[in-house]
Amino acid sequence: MIEYRIKVARPLKNIFTDAWVWRMALRDARHNFSRLFLFAASLITGIAAVVAIGSINYSIQRDLDKNAKELLGADLVINSSKKIDSNLLKLLDSTNTEKAFDADMASMVLFLHNQQSRLIKLTALKGNFPFYGKLETKPANAYALMKSGKFALLDESLATQYEVSTNDSIKVGNTIFKVAGVVTKIPGGGGFTSTISPSVYISMDVLDSTGLVQFGSRVGYSLYLKTKEADTQAIIDKLEPTLKKLNYTFETVKSRKEGLGDALKSVYQFFALLAFMALLLGCIGVASAVHIYAKEKREEVALLRCIGSSGWQAFNIYFIQVFCVGLLGSAIGSALGIAIQQVIPIVFNDFIPAQLQFSLSWEALLEGLLLGSIISVLFTILPLISVRFVPPLSTLRAEVKQVKVVSKTRMVAILLIVLFPVLAAAYQTQSIVTGALFSIGLAVVLAGLYGIGALLLYLSRRFFPHHAAFTFRHALSNLFRPNNQTRVLVVAIGLGAFILATLNIIQNSLLNQVEFQGGKNQSNTILFDIQPKQKEGVLQLIKGTGLPMNQVVPMVTCRLAEVKGKSVETILNDSTDKRPEWAVSREYRVTYRDSLTKPETLLEGKLQRFEKGQKDSVFVTISEAMHETLEVNLGDSLVFDIQGVPIKTFISGIRKVEWSSDPPNFIFVFPSGVLENAPQIWVATTRIEDAVVSSKFQQQLVTRFSNVSLVDLRLILNTVNKLFSKVAVAIRFLSMFSIITGMIVLAGTVSNSKFVRMKEYVLLRTIGARTKQISAITLIEYAYLGFFAAMAGVVLSLGAGWLLTFFFFKIQFSVNAAELLLVTLGVISLTVVIGWLNSRSVISTPPLQVLRKEA
Amino acid sequence: MNDIVLKAEALTKTYTSAERQLTVLDEVSFEVAQGNTLSIIGPSGSGKTTLLGLCAGLDVPSSGIISLMGLKLNAMSEDDRAYVRNQYVGFVFQNFQLLQTLTALENVMVPLELRGEKNITVKAQHLLDRVGLGGRFNHYPSQLSGGEQQRVALARAFITSPKILFADEPTGNLDGENAALIEELLFGMNREEKTTLVLVTHNLELAAKTERVLRMKGGKLVEDSITALP
Ligand SMILES: Nc1ncnc2c1ncn2[C@@H]1O[C@H](COP(=O)(O)OP(=O)(O)OP(=O)(O)O)[C@@H](O)[C@H]1O
Ligand SMILES: [Mg+2]
Repeated sequence: MIEYRIKVARPLKNIFTDAWVWRMALRDARHNFSRLFLFAASLITGIAAVVAIGSINYSIQRDLDKNAKELLGADLVINSSKKIDSNLLKLLDSTNTEKAFDADMASMVLFLHNQQSRLIKLTALKGNFPFYGKLETKPANAYALMKSGKFALLDESLATQYEVSTNDSIKVGNTIFKVAGVVTKIPGGGGFTSTISPSVYISMDVLDSTGLVQFGSRVGYSLYLKTKEADTQAIIDKLEPTLKKLNYTFETVKSRKEGLGDALKSVYQFFALLAFMALLLGCIGVASAVHIYAKEKREEVALLRCIGSSGWQAFNIYFIQVFCVGLLGSAIGSALGIAIQQVIPIVFNDFIPAQLQFSLSWEALLEGLLLGSIISVLFTILPLISVRFVPPLSTLRAEVKQVKVVSKTRMVAILLIVLFPVLAAAYQTQSIVTGALFSIGLAVVLAGLYGIGALLLYLSRRFFPHHAAFTFRHALSNLFRPNNQTRVLVVAIGLGAFILATLNIIQNSLLNQVEFQGGKNQSNTILFDIQPKQKEGVLQLIKGTGLPMNQVVPMVTCRLAEVKGKSVETILNDSTDKRPEWAVSREYRVTYRDSLTKPETLLEGKLQRFEKGQKDSVFVTISEAMHETLEVNLGDSLVFDIQGVPIKTFISGIRKVEWSSDPPNFIFVFPSGVLENAPQIWVATTRIEDAVVSSKFQQQLVTRFSNVSLVDLRLILNTVNKLFSKVAVAIRFLSMFSIITGMIVLAGTVSNSKFVRMKEYVLLRTIGARTKQISAITLIEYAYLGFFAAMAGVVLSLGAGWLLTFFFFKIQFSVNAAELLLVTLGVISLTVVIGWLNSRSVISTPPLQVLRKEA
Repeated sequence: MNDIVLKAEALTKTYTSAERQLTVLDEVSFEVAQGNTLSIIGPSGSGKTTLLGLCAGLDVPSSGIISLMGLKLNAMSEDDRAYVRNQYVGFVFQNFQLLQTLTALENVMVPLELRGEKNITVKAQHLLDRVGLGGRFNHYPSQLSGGEQQRVALARAFITSPKILFADEPTGNLDGENAALIEELLFGMNREEKTTLVLVTHNLELAAKTERVLRMKGGKLVEDSITALP
C-alpha cells in the first residue's frame, strides 16, 4: 500500500493581503467600467433621496432646538374658552411677567371692494405679542398701525385670493376695518394652518365694537406670558391648581416643541419611507445586475480555478469591483442628496413652519455613505457567492451543472437581506413596528407587482400573437431571451407607476367624496351661530332668496358633570380610569328633537319622549362611538351641566351616525321639552346651486346678521383640493426618485444584455433585416416592457387604492380612468425613451466585431 | 517510485441521471512517469475528457484513487486541488480559454501572479517571444486569431514550469497550418521543459508523436501501447 499525502500547505490570504485579486479586479474592470457603473447608478437616486430627506430632518431638529421660543412667541401660553379669569390675572400680578392676549373665533368677513365674503378666523391681539420671534408684515409698519385703531391685518394667502390691497376696507361683524397690510410670518402660524383657516387680525380694543362676542359664539382666549427663564416652571407650579379648576390648558415652549416635533416626525417618517422605497428598488436593481454579471463571469472563473485560484479569490475579484462602484455610487448619491436639499424647501414649504431654516447636515451625509456601503456588501454578496462554487470542470465541458451549495455565507447573506429593510426602515422612522410594517407592506407590493408582471408575461406567451407583424412578434419574444431581467424590470418600473396611480386614486376618491356630499339634494351651505332672536329673520332671508330649508336645528352648549353617578372630577383624578380626559371634560353641543335624521339609525333602545310631571326622567340618546368611549350603556345615568344648571338624564338609545353626511350631527340628542329655555343658538342648512346666488346671499347675510357664520362646502372642497395638491406635489416629487431608479435599472439591464442583443441584431441583419426594422423591434420591445410594468403598477394600485379608501379613509372608491391612462402612457414613453437611448450604440455596432468576440 | 507523477487506481465515474446509472469510466488504472508523453485516444463519448478531468483534479471520481505528485486528490477540498494545480499542472484547452478582459501578456502572467511571485513580466515576455507573439503583448484575445490565442494559452501553460501538462484536443479548433504550428510548439516546449504531457486527441497522427498511447472504449482502458517513435 502506498502512502499518499493529502495535506497541502496552501497559504491562506484574505482580501486585504491578496494583492493579486485587487490587480485582477482592476484589470477586469477596465472593460466593464461603464457597465459596472450602471449597477452603482441604481443606488444614486435612492441614496440621494434618503440623504436629502434625512438632512432636512436633522436641520429641522437642530433649528427646532435653536428657535423653539419663536415657535410659541412666549414662554408660556394659557388657553381657555372663556375670558381669562381675573383671579388668575391677579395671581400673576405678583410675578415678574409680561402679558399679551389674544382671542380668536370664526367669523364672516366681507370684502367691500368686491363685495365677496367668506368664513375666516378672527384673531384679536393685545399687548406685545410675540415676545420671541417677529410678526412680519408687508408693509413693515402694518402691525403698529393695526394696534392703533380700526385696522386689520390679513394672512397673505387670504389677501392674495380676494385681491385685497392696503387701504381696501373689510367688514367684520358690525365694524368696517381698513386693511393695514398682510402678515407674512407669525409665530405659531404658517404651513397648513393658513390654508385651512386663513386669519384676519385686529386689535383687541376694537373687538367689542364688532358685536361678535355674544352668547353662544365660540371664542378661544389665550394669554401669552413672558417670564424670566428660570421662573417658568415656578409660575406653572403656582398657577396649575387654578388652571385645573378653571378648566384652562397651557402650553410651554417645551410642549410646543415636542408637539411640533412629533407632527414633523410623522411627516418625516412618511417621506423618509417613500425615499427609502426608491433606495430598495435600487438594491433590487443592483442585486439583479450583479446576478447577471456573475453568471457571465462563470467561464472566466472556471478558468481561474483551473489554473489555481481559490473560490474566495475568484469571488473577491468581482466583489471588489462591485463594492467599489457601489461606494462610488453612494458618494455621488450623497452629494446629489445635499444638492437636492436646496430644492426641497420649494416642494415641502407647506409642511414646515416658516420659522425653520435648512442647513447642510453631516450626519445625513455620513448616513448615506454608510447605507450605501452596507447595501454594496449585502446586495452583491448573495448574487456573487455562486462564483465561489463554479466547477473548474466547465472549462472542459460547457454544460456542467452547478450543484447548489448550501454555504454559511449564503445563509447569513439571505438573513441579513431580509432583515435589512426592516432594520433600516426602523432606524429611519425610529420605530421597529413601523419598520416591520413598512417592510411587510413593501414585500406585499413587490410580490404583487412581480406576480402580476409574471402573469402578464405568461399570458403574452400563452396567447402569443403568431399572426402579428414580424417586428411585433420578434419584439415580444425578445423579452424572453435567456438571462432576461424582464420581471425585475417590471417590478422596478412598475413600483413607480404603482405609487403614482395609487396617489391619483386616493386624490380622486377624496375629492369625489366631498363633491358627492355636495351633490344630490344634500346641503352645501351651513349657517352657524344664529341667535334665537335672529332665527326668524335668517329663515326669511333663506326663503326670500328662494333657497330650500333643509335643517333648522337648535344647539345647546354644555359639559358633563357626572357619569354613572361618578363626578367628572373623581373620574379625572382616578388614574385607573381608562376613559380619555378629553371625552369627559370637553364641551358638548347637544340638540333636542323627538325623531331621527337621515344620517342616523337606532342601534339599541328607543327614542323616549319627555313627559311633564315625571320630573327626573330625561332620556337622551348617544352616538355609537361615544357610547364606547365613555363606557356607558342603556339605562346609565349622565348629569349634564347646562350653563350652570345640572340636568340628570338616562341613556335610552344608541345611534349610529353617518357623520360626514348632511351635517350638523350630534353626539347627544335630548328629547324636546327639556332644553327649550336653555341659552341656545340655531344652525340652519340649505343648498345653493349657483355661485352668484351664493355670493349675493352671503353678502346679504353678513350685512344683516353679521355674527352669523356661513360654511360653504364648495369652499371646503376647494381647500381639500388645494391641500391635497400640496401633499401630492411632495409625494410625486419623491416617487419620481423611484421612477428614475427604475429607469436606471432599465439602462443597466440594457447594457447588461448588450452582447446578447448585438448577436441578435447581427443575426437579423444576416438574414436581411434593415436597420429600420431592427430599430422598430427595439422600440416595440421597450413599449411592451413599459406596458407590462405600467399595467402591473396600475392593476395593483386599483387593489391598494380600494383597500385604502375602504379601510383607511372610509370613503367611496373612485377612479379617473383618463388620468390612470395618462400614467400608463407616461411610463411607457419613458421606458421607450430610456431603452432607445441605451440601445443606439448596440444597433450601430458593425457585425464583424460581434463575430470576432464569438470565437 | 518517486518519479511517478500521476497515478490512477481503478478510477470509476458514474453519473446518476433520472433513474439510470451511467458508468462513463470503468475501473481505469495506469500511471505516468516523470517526463513521459502520453496520449489518450478513443471514439467520441468513450470517456477521454472525463478521465482527463479526474486526473487534473477538476472533478472527483465515484470510486478509485487519483494521485498527482504523490498527493491524493480525492480527499482534498476544491481549493486545495486548485492550489495543487497551480503548483504542478499546466492546461491547454480546445477552445483556448483566455481571459477576454486581459491582454496577452497579462493572460500569461496570471498563474505566476497567483503564486504571489514578483518580477515575472520578463519571463512572460520571453515565453510570448518563444511562441512567436513578440510584438503583441498588449493585444486582447479579441484582437488575435484562433491560432494566436492558442499560442498565448501555450505560453500561459508553460510559465509555471509545470510538472505535468494536460491538453484536451489542443488543435481541435484550428486549421491544418495553425494546428501544425501548435503541435510543433507544444512538443518543442515540452522537450525543453521536460514536462510530463497528457494529451487527449482524436488525431492518430498527433497521438503517434507521444511515447505512449492509451486507447479508451466505452469507459474502459482497452489498450496501453508504447509508440515506436521515429
Ligand atoms: N454530467 C454528465 N452527466 C451524464 N453523463 C455525462 C456527463 N458528462 C459526461 N457524460 C457522458 O460521459 C460520456 C463520456 O464523455 P466524455 O466527454 O468524457 O467523452 P469524450 O471521450 O471526451 O468524447 P469527445 O471525443 O466527443 O470529446 C459521454 O457519453 C457523456 O455523454
Ligand atoms: Mg472530449
